[in-house]
Amino acid sequence: MAVRAPLGELEHLVLLAILRLGSAAYGVSIARELEREAGRALSRGALYSTLDRLEIKGLLRWKSEPGGSERRGLPRRLYYVSARGLAAVRASQRILNRMWRGLEDVLKEPS
Amino acid sequence: VRPAPPRLSVWLLRRVLPPGDAGAAVLGDLLEELDASGNTRAARRRFVRHACSVAVRYAVRRAPQPRPAETAHGESMAFDALRQDLRFAVRGIVKRPSFAAMVLATLALGIGASTAIFSITNAILLRPLPYVHADRLVYVSETNKGVRASFGYPNYVDYRDRAQSFDGLACHSGTSFTVLGESPQRVDGRLVCWNFFNILGVQPQLGRLFTSADDQPGAPAVALISERLWRQQFGGDPSIIGRTLRTNEQNLTIVGVLPGNFRFSRVEDVFAPLALTITPNSGWLDRGNHFGLYAIGRLKPGVTVQQAQAEADHVFADLKRAYPNTNSTNGGRVVLLRDRIVETIRDTLIALMAAVGFLLLLACVNVANLLVARGAARQHELAVRTALGGTRWRLVRQLLVESTCLSAAGAALGVLVAFWLLQLLIALAPPDVPRIHEVSLDRMSLAFAVAAAALCGLVFGSFPAFQASSGGRLHLLARASRTSSVTPHRTRRALMTVEVALALVLLAGCGLMARTIAGLHAVNPGFRSDHLLTARFSLGGPAWTTEKRLAFFDALLPKLNALPGVTRAALTYSLPIEGSQWGSIFTVSDKPVPPRDQLPAAAFCPIAANYFDTMGIRTLRGRTFDSRDLDASPKVILVNSTLARRIWPGEDAIGKRLKQGWPEGDGPWREVVGIVADVKLEGVDRDVPMQVFMPIAQETPRSVAIVARTSVEPMQVVRDIEAAVQSLNHDVPLTNVQPMTALMSDAIARQRLSLIVLAVFAVVAVLVAAVGLYGVVAHSVTERTREIGVRMALGAEGRQVLGLFVRQGLVTAAAGTVIGLGGAAAVTRVLEKLLFGVKPSDPATLGSVAALILVVAAIACYIPARRAARIDPLLALRAE
Repeated sequence: MAVRAPLGELEHLVLLAILRLGSAAYGVSIARELEREAGRALSRGALYSTLDRLEIKGLLRWKSEPGGSERRGLPRRLYYVSARGLAAVRASQRILNRMWRGLEDVLKEPS
Repeated sequence: VRPAPPRLSVWLLRRVLPPGDAGAAVLGDLLEELDASGNTRAARRRFVRHACSVAVRYAVRRAPQPRPAETAHGESMAFDALRQDLRFAVRGIVKRPSFAAMVLATLALGIGASTAIFSITNAILLRPLPYVHADRLVYVSETNKGVRASFGYPNYVDYRDRAQSFDGLACHSGTSFTVLGESPQRVDGRLVCWNFFNILGVQPQLGRLFTSADDQPGAPAVALISERLWRQQFGGDPSIIGRTLRTNEQNLTIVGVLPGNFRFSRVEDVFAPLALTITPNSGWLDRGNHFGLYAIGRLKPGVTVQQAQAEADHVFADLKRAYPNTNSTNGGRVVLLRDRIVETIRDTLIALMAAVGFLLLLACVNVANLLVARGAARQHELAVRTALGGTRWRLVRQLLVESTCLSAAGAALGVLVAFWLLQLLIALAPPDVPRIHEVSLDRMSLAFAVAAAALCGLVFGSFPAFQASSGGRLHLLARASRTSSVTPHRTRRALMTVEVALALVLLAGCGLMARTIAGLHAVNPGFRSDHLLTARFSLGGPAWTTEKRLAFFDALLPKLNALPGVTRAALTYSLPIEGSQWGSIFTVSDKPVPPRDQLPAAAFCPIAANYFDTMGIRTLRGRTFDSRDLDASPKVILVNSTLARRIWPGEDAIGKRLKQGWPEGDGPWREVVGIVADVKLEGVDRDVPMQVFMPIAQETPRSVAIVARTSVEPMQVVRDIEAAVQSLNHDVPLTNVQPMTALMSDAIARQRLSLIVLAVFAVVAVLVAAVGLYGVVAHSVTERTREIGVRMALGAEGRQVLGLFVRQGLVTAAAGTVIGLGGAAAVTRVLEKLLFGVKPSDPATLGSVAALILVVAAIACYIPARRAARIDPLLALRAE
């Protein structure tokens, strides 16, 4: 199924972070992953509204898990990328790859 | 044990996050992160920041999102655009929390302070009195040599019978009653003409008002009582009507209970018809006696106060011709009741209102200044938006929406500040401020806060908005950020000049009030006010004959003097500072009798023998009273040095004689046996009047004050003194029990309140101006970093760079100071009536506040300028 609106950059990054984290993707770890790998220090407001938006678009799903004492008993939401989400990441990646084609000389990293 | 997370943030999150798991998971994430990073201060700060960003996102998202399908297309577009503006504004504000905090703090202070003062002014000066058709109510009195005086009863009757201006006229006289019961209490009350309450338009909550039959000589004695007394003394018994109110003076039959919110000028509990006291032998029927009788009237519709005043002038001119002996210097005066009630506080309020106006203006200017600075920083952003097709109107609107958001938030905070400030001001207010119980944050106050906020948001927000969005944009886009445009700087400096000027005006007001308070404290009252307790009691009613009263005093004094903790005690009719209880003209035996309108007047005061020792008042010549001076012995008096000097200049007053009253009166001649030092009688700030003291045995008053010099804290001996009085008679309660120091501090409460308010305003104003100046200089240092680098690379020394920036800031401050001095000289005149011992344009005060402002300005400029002087030229040049 074709994804109507292309992913925003932040949405793209968040989905990738969730995929990288496997079954341990929740708010704190996603934020850390983005900071470590993408150098993006997100405000939590931006992070959670992105997660909510992705959920509304049907690109990710979540399940609740009871939290331990480190979060004072509050539940933890573990995020998974849905099939549509995976398709959307692939589509975005395809677009980027197409746009790269022919620019290898210009864009290649100086080594 | 883990420390608790920042409570306010958690509370905020719980409010905005969606209920259930979704919200709990977000909160859990934030808490986990906080603990994981060790709950350090940095982590807690991060937690607060994240919490705010989450709160804003969820708060904006949770707001209902109307989809106006039915509305016209254009309207919905406009609405969408506005919503977008709003979202953008909130985001912009949240992105720069320190900027927002500065603006909000300034606005909250400015709006809060002005709303609080406005609420007081509105309740006391502007709102109509709580009576029916209050705009037609007037207060009528006599005048003596142009000064307000009470009516002589026959004068009142003549005036009432001739005056045509009124629908009704009623006289009244403040008094007090001792209400007897298990614990007798002294309460304030008022003797009134029967139609007093009809004129005010007051209805009783129980029973009836007075009728003309109640106000006839010989009518049964009746009373109306306050709701307070009804509840306290009678437990709110609904069958109170017809019961007896036992008082020291007389038993009164209660005919009605007044509504709980009724008040006439002060708290009063018992009202009785005037006929009770106007008896043939009471002295009331003597035209020359002025026993504190005043009148209220209701003007006929269409009659103005001026017309009523003209009529009063006419009537009193007739009375003067008819009774030259008693009315030679008397006139009539008609003023609006409202003006009369508020006249003690009016000048203070006008002064404070002016001060708060300046503070609000300063807040506006400061916000404008911050917005201009912000606009300068955002020029690049605005340029980009223009380039992308944003119209100028759109940009201006965006900036306006932002400043309106800020001022709306400022208004909300301001109302909170106003609420607290109002509590504080009411607590600090002098005890006799009229209508203070009517003060509250009401709808008018809120409307004022909103109006003040709108003024700040629109007027001062639009100024930087147009300023920031004007001019071509493309050159700004192209321009590198190393230089800055000149315009915002010029604007900021102009605004800074205004800020400094406003701060100086407030500081000048504060300085003048401080001089006044210092002056008042420095006044030597003529007696020792520390360790001195004062209390009043009254022996009223026919049972207390002169002999019984004198016997009571004679028995009481030894008891008081023997109390532990009391070193000396005495009795007096009038207390210093509190004011004279008995003013009268007098006649001197060895001088020609002057024309009637030039007869001298003095404050007469009966005292017990050791009064002067107790008070610490010096005897200048002759002797004081002692056991010789009995009722039957020759009549003797002491006079103060003002009287001795004025009546017998260059002569020895000892042995001279005078008598109280008219030359033809039959009072006894009294011989001066001593002269005592002057003592401040009417407040601290008024001149000492001529004063005559007589022995209590030769002139025995009904109401006296105890003065007790104590070796302990004065209030510690109150119980013992009360017990001593009541061991002689159970039905004599003490009133007005207070240390002399409290009485003196009440006397200057008006000035002190003004000083406190002005001082707070001035400190805030100076701080705001200093921070503003700091900001302007710091900003210019940042922008000129490269230039400084070049200068220093070319050999300029740190000292020269420092001087450059300090000079630049000081020129701004100096300009503001000059303007402010001019302004201060013009507006401190509103303080004139509050000042004591200092002129509104006092050069020493103005000079020192100007110097203070310049010193603060120099410090505010020096700090950022020092940073400029320490710039490393290499780093500065490489930064580009």
